[in-house]
Amino acid sequence: MPVNLALGHVSNDFLIAALVIYSLAVLTFAGDFAFGRPRRAVVAVTAAKQPALATVGAAAGTSSADAGQDKTAADSMPELAVPALRALFQADAWVRAAMALSAAAVVAHAVAVVTRGLAVHRAPWGNMYEFLTALTCFAAIFFLGVMVRYRAWSLGVFVMGAVVITLGLTETLIFTPAGDLVPALQSYWLSIHVTAMTVATGVFFVSTVLGVVYLVVDRYNRRAAAGRPVPSNGIVRRLPTLEQLDRLAYRTVVFGFPIWTFGVIAGAIWADQAWGRYWGWDPVETWAFITWVIYAAFLHARATAGWRGRRAHYVQLLGFASLTFNILVVQIFIAGLHSYAGVN
Amino acid sequence: MTELRTPPVDQDGFPAEAASEQSRPAPATAHGAGDWLRWAWRQLTSMRIALILLFLLALGSIPGSMLPQEGVDPGGVAQYYKSHPSLAPFLNHLGLFNVFAAPWFAAIYLLLFTSLVGCVVPRTFRLAGSARARPPRAPRHLNKLPQSAEYSTALAPEPALEVASRVLAGHGFRLRQEGDWISSEKGYLREAGNLLFHLALLGVLISVALGGLFGYKADRLLVEKGTFANTTSDLDVFRPGRLVTGTGLPPFTITLDKFNASYISSGPQQGQPAAFDAHVTYTAHPGGPSRTFDIQVNHPLNIDGANVYLIGHGYAPVFRVTDARGHVVYDQATAFLNGSAANLLSQGVIKATDAQPEQLGFSGVFVPTAIDVSGTLASIFPAPDRPMVSLIAYVGDLGMNSGISQSIYQLDTTRMHQLTASPQLLQPGQTLHLPGGRGSITFVGVQQWASLAITHDPGQVPALICGMAALAGLLLSFLVRRRRVFVRVRGSVVQVGGLARTDASGGFEAEFASLAAELKSAHQRESSQQDTETE
Repeated sequence: MPVNLALGHVSNDFLIAALVIYSLAVLTFAGDFAFGRPRRAVVAVTAAKQPALATVGAAAGTSSADAGQDKTAADSMPELAVPALRALFQADAWVRAAMALSAAAVVAHAVAVVTRGLAVHRAPWGNMYEFLTALTCFAAIFFLGVMVRYRAWSLGVFVMGAVVITLGLTETLIFTPAGDLVPALQSYWLSIHVTAMTVATGVFFVSTVLGVVYLVVDRYNRRAAAGRPVPSNGIVRRLPTLEQLDRLAYRTVVFGFPIWTFGVIAGAIWADQAWGRYWGWDPVETWAFITWVIYAAFLHARATAGWRGRRAHYVQLLGFASLTFNILVVQIFIAGLHSYAGVN
Repeated sequence: MTELRTPPVDQDGFPAEAASEQSRPAPATAHGAGDWLRWAWRQLTSMRIALILLFLLALGSIPGSMLPQEGVDPGGVAQYYKSHPSLAPFLNHLGLFNVFAAPWFAAIYLLLFTSLVGCVVPRTFRLAGSARARPPRAPRHLNKLPQSAEYSTALAPEPALEVASRVLAGHGFRLRQEGDWISSEKGYLREAGNLLFHLALLGVLISVALGGLFGYKADRLLVEKGTFANTTSDLDVFRPGRLVTGTGLPPFTITLDKFNASYISSGPQQGQPAAFDAHVTYTAHPGGPSRTFDIQVNHPLNIDGANVYLIGHGYAPVFRVTDARGHVVYDQATAFLNGSAANLLSQGVIKATDAQPEQLGFSGVFVPTAIDVSGTLASIFPAPDRPMVSLIAYVGDLGMNSGISQSIYQLDTTRMHQLTASPQLLQPGQTLHLPGGRGSITFVGVQQWASLAITHDPGQVPALICGMAALAGLLLSFLVRRRRVFVRVRGSVVQVGGLARTDASGGFEAEFASLAAELKSAHQRESSQQDTETE
């Protein structure tokens, strides 16, 4: 079937619209920092006893002993979680506006990806441009879910900001019009292997931004603890605590790691069908393996004394660095079987 | 893998998931070799060393992707030797042109897997032990646990505990009831999944080794109408596994009936291939029925456990050569190879060894859709729309009897001299008459060739099974939470406490809240039933 060029143009228009709305969302998230009600973000991921499930404004890590002592014979039942969406509607106006803009941008972005797929009659991640467009879309959808579920909207400016930068560079530097694929990519495994890799990369994209925020907050805290001068602009005070950031980043990696593993396995099955071997140390395969090993090291580092916290997050960033290297350097500049980027 | 410097029981009274040994200082010199071995083993199976080995594995893989590798790109290695003559032998000495078969790389992953086994096997026994052991005693103060609830009930303690144990058992908790409390635990699959993941990785390694020992790979270039049999002598390249002799290959034969390639003819992607089909006829064994199959890039042919893949294609121009006597000494399609030139511009040679009085040789360039770009022949499209060959003729000794084996794609012109000053262009049907009546060459037409890879890998299915098992184990260990719920009834007060490993995927707060609510309503229901019975 020939490429539907009109639909391809629709896709491009939606992508530009998404880019504009994302930018507005980032500005609104920033506006919340500048003008919104001061409050500590509450991320409902801690297992410690605290009213994290319910109220906004509670300090994290309330001592469980204190809460327990006051109990009388009267019933004290743990509260069932406030539905995430209701918590969102009770949030600050800036937050609600930013979340609404983010949702609108994600919808426009998703429409752009879907129409591109309809235009070319296949999964719309067959070259580098499509891949980056789709992975930022998955990252934005995933992070929107994280923000709603964990009330982590103070992180929106960072993740959506990273999405805007990536998508903007993709659009301006490597735009590729809708087109057909070489025979090697004409397989239903494209929708399995590359989809898994794209989703996993989108998830790791989010965990990377969270890891960077963790390291910034960690540095701020250590400077403050050492009595060194720290900027007092209140940004850090509005962010989740170090422990909450650590948990959120960890859970994000835990979500992405099995998807990445599945993507590698699916890739091996496809390689076996297309090239006659399931693993051949093709440069891209090698770097997918390196990335997998580094994220595995992150998961282990978190359970090793002396490696928790800062060091573990450096490992995580190293993992994303190798992933990025694979996408931007290996697939484009190093000859191998995976040379499908279509970037000149 | 074991965790260092963590007590075997963490602050919540939960056995730490991975703690078995604590780091101890290296033994003093007065101790014997046994102590040193034990110390070394403890180090090797510690998480810290496993972590370092993981990093080394990642680091060691990098040269395998940056430098050309023997197994993947032997031509690239040869090229590297030419461009870096002093550096290449040194790199070769370090095994950097064959990283994934190098002893040092094997040392890293074998140590890693030893570390893994040394950690996983004791844990398997511990898991088996803890799955048989009863849940621990309930702590004295349930309201100090991370999750707790408290309510009053009209039930007497005995029936209240009975109701609670029914609710908890209904949720699959393992129970222990003593005195005024119930202790229950759930989520052993988490540790089981973790073990499955690590053992499955070991299985992947063994599967890969299995393929390396008992598998084989072979290549065969086949011109249209050509046939080959799957024997070592008839294959172009045969790379057997360590324990494969090559005598027991499946005895199939394959004929390439027709090769079709289609290309995008307009737009920005002009010249990009759209489809490749190798239509073949094959017989699984001599005298067997012949069947047809369309081998495509993502659609291999399976015969008797061997897979046949389409891995390359190109053009084979047909030439007829007559010698000075007028005898036809060469009449066949000759495979020309495409290097990296655009649009399938290909090169090849013709060796007329039977030509008299002297042997004739030609080196040629085939252009599928030819145009003249300021005196140079270029190809503007990969399909044979305007095919043309450019030939240089040589006469003399081809050197075929020198005892040194020759590539059929290269002409050794050291003992030949050039007959034509400049390359001669021919279109299909045209003939080039050699000067001095030495004969002629006719460009008859053009056929296509397909390059087939034949592989057999007995480790393939085990590797897939182990890979899926690893993924299942990973999901179990990430999704399942190990958690404990305690119930204590004192007088008319029911206390419920719960704790989960904090690393788990979260959501225990919600689970505990709904469980506590369920316990409370079960107690209310039971007491109201008792009321109606007494009335």
